[in-house]
Amino acid sequence: MKNKVKNLLWPLAFGIALILAWQFGVFHKILDLKPFQLPVPTEIASTLAANLPKALKDCGVTISGALIGMIIGSFMGFMIAAMATFFPKWGYGGMIVVTALNAVPIVALSPIMNLWFSTGMAQKIAVVTVVCMAAMAINAYSGLNNLNPYSIDLMHSVAANKWTIFRKLRLPNSLPHIFTASKINIASSIIAAIISEYFAASTSGLGFGIKDNLRKAEMAMGWSYIVVASLAGVILYCIILLVERDALKWHASQK
Amino acid sequence: MKKSKLTSVLAVIMLILLVATGCSSGTSATSTPGAGTSGAEKNASGKLDKVTLQLKWLPQSQFMGYYVAKAKGYYKDEGIDLEILPGGSDIIPEQQVYNGVADIGVTWVSSLMKYQSQGWGLVQVGQIFQKSAMLLVSKTSAGINSAADLKGKKVGSWFGGNEYEIYALLEANGLKKDTDLKLVQQDYTMNQLLNNEIDAASAMTYNEYGLLLESGLKDSDLHVINMNDAGVAMLEDCLFVNSDWIAKNQDLYVRFLKASIKGWAEACADPEAAGKVVFDADQSVSLSHQVYMAKEVAKLVVPKDFDPANIGYIDMDAIKQTADLAHKYGLLTKPAVISEDTVTSKYWKEATAK
Repeated sequence: MKNKVKNLLWPLAFGIALILAWQFGVFHKILDLKPFQLPVPTEIASTLAANLPKALKDCGVTISGALIGMIIGSFMGFMIAAMATFFPKWGYGGMIVVTALNAVPIVALSPIMNLWFSTGMAQKIAVVTVVCMAAMAINAYSGLNNLNPYSIDLMHSVAANKWTIFRKLRLPNSLPHIFTASKINIASSIIAAIISEYFAASTSGLGFGIKDNLRKAEMAMGWSYIVVASLAGVILYCIILLVERDALKWHASQK
Repeated sequence: MKKSKLTSVLAVIMLILLVATGCSSGTSATSTPGAGTSGAEKNASGKLDKVTLQLKWLPQSQFMGYYVAKAKGYYKDEGIDLEILPGGSDIIPEQQVYNGVADIGVTWVSSLMKYQSQGWGLVQVGQIFQKSAMLLVSKTSAGINSAADLKGKKVGSWFGGNEYEIYALLEANGLKKDTDLKLVQQDYTMNQLLNNEIDAASAMTYNEYGLLLESGLKDSDLHVINMNDAGVAMLEDCLFVNSDWIAKNQDLYVRFLKASIKGWAEACADPEAAGKVVFDADQSVSLSHQVYMAKEVAKLVVPKDFDPANIGYIDMDAIKQTADLAHKYGLLTKPAVISEDTVTSKYWKEATAK
């Protein structure tokens, strides 16, 4: 218990010190900035409070796009990994394609998707889907295939068929990997959604808010969108952690 | 095993070298603008003063006056070595000039007013475009014959400060921007309009409207709402500087303005040649598009009944209208302060004095 408190206190103290340094102009001094170039935390907080309904609405738009895209992308990634496991001969080709897709930068993907989809939401979901596919496919594949040799021998010795091995051995074995991929994907899906909003044919979402306000010299408003975006990312990450703890009670990492 | 270790060590060394070379070229690139500003003081020894000009957008005929003056050596005649920095969608001239990356910037007046109102020490020192070039264009098939017909339509804007003339237009025609129609972000092509994804698109007379014509549409296929005719025009391309910089470089700026006015006058008198000069300086778009743009820009810089000798003149009534519209439609939270510290014709008068 004592250790837990300690583990929490140190980062908390560090965070508070950082915000205080920011508030009292330490960063401004070091980087030679004026408050209108980098607004101080209290100004950001009051701007955010004044514009909370709009910020939350925009946050909802971004997060729903990110989550839907992540679910579709992760599902597709998992299916590709499963294919590659079941039919190693030709299924592995899908893994290679997905890895190559992973290398396409989001900034290139967004304008392209903009041409393919007419609404901002569809474009955003498409970008996030592509971005989330690779991490899930690669992680799930290693989870489905890096099996304990004794376990697979046991399965063979009782003449288990492919499907039973998949359900009873491969799937549980891949769960920790799937959660790792989900943790990667939750962060990258929000990043992808925000960047795609820079280019999207819509005027809602955190990405549009950040870009538009920073260009119009509304620095405090732009920063409050940045704060909302990072808070949303942290909250979603925590949710995944909680689900993981529940789902993987049996696993060594959770003891 | 040993061999693979060697390969990985080699790979890491190569990565480090790559980063090192990347950083070193990075520092040399960032040190140039610094040298530029320090060298900007007047020197009588015959050496040229270095001045950097930050454009609002890509190198194109929108800025032909500076390119013509540079090509013809007018800046050199004034003892100036001018470097022209191209802009882009995420390059903000106000921030570039304030940070000292550039000495002089080209931006829209409304956008400059916004920065000034937030406390940025910038001052407007010239007005190149006398008219607004902003149009709302729709295909005749969309049936948008007047601003009132925009009700219920999908309308594109680039935002980031470019939306306020449209807001003013809508409000002047009794439309509410949030409920009566759908405003969407437009990219820098005209594809959304061409593919009927939006009903009306923002277009500059000198650029996007030309793209529509080049894509095969005719004037008769398009309906245009002109912000000047609608009485909601806001001023666009102007020249501005950092207040601290101009305090030390008044004479240098006046010489820059003299040469620029000469370049603009020549460009507007012969836009065809000016388009060619811009094209030769930077092949960002085709020659025919540069020439088209040059012809349209000439109409904004030297409108009908405007004396070319007055290029750069700051029309305070138009400034006032821009400030009022910017305040009324939400760009500015409080009325713009219009004083010698924010807009001054002092240097223009000096530059044009006979």
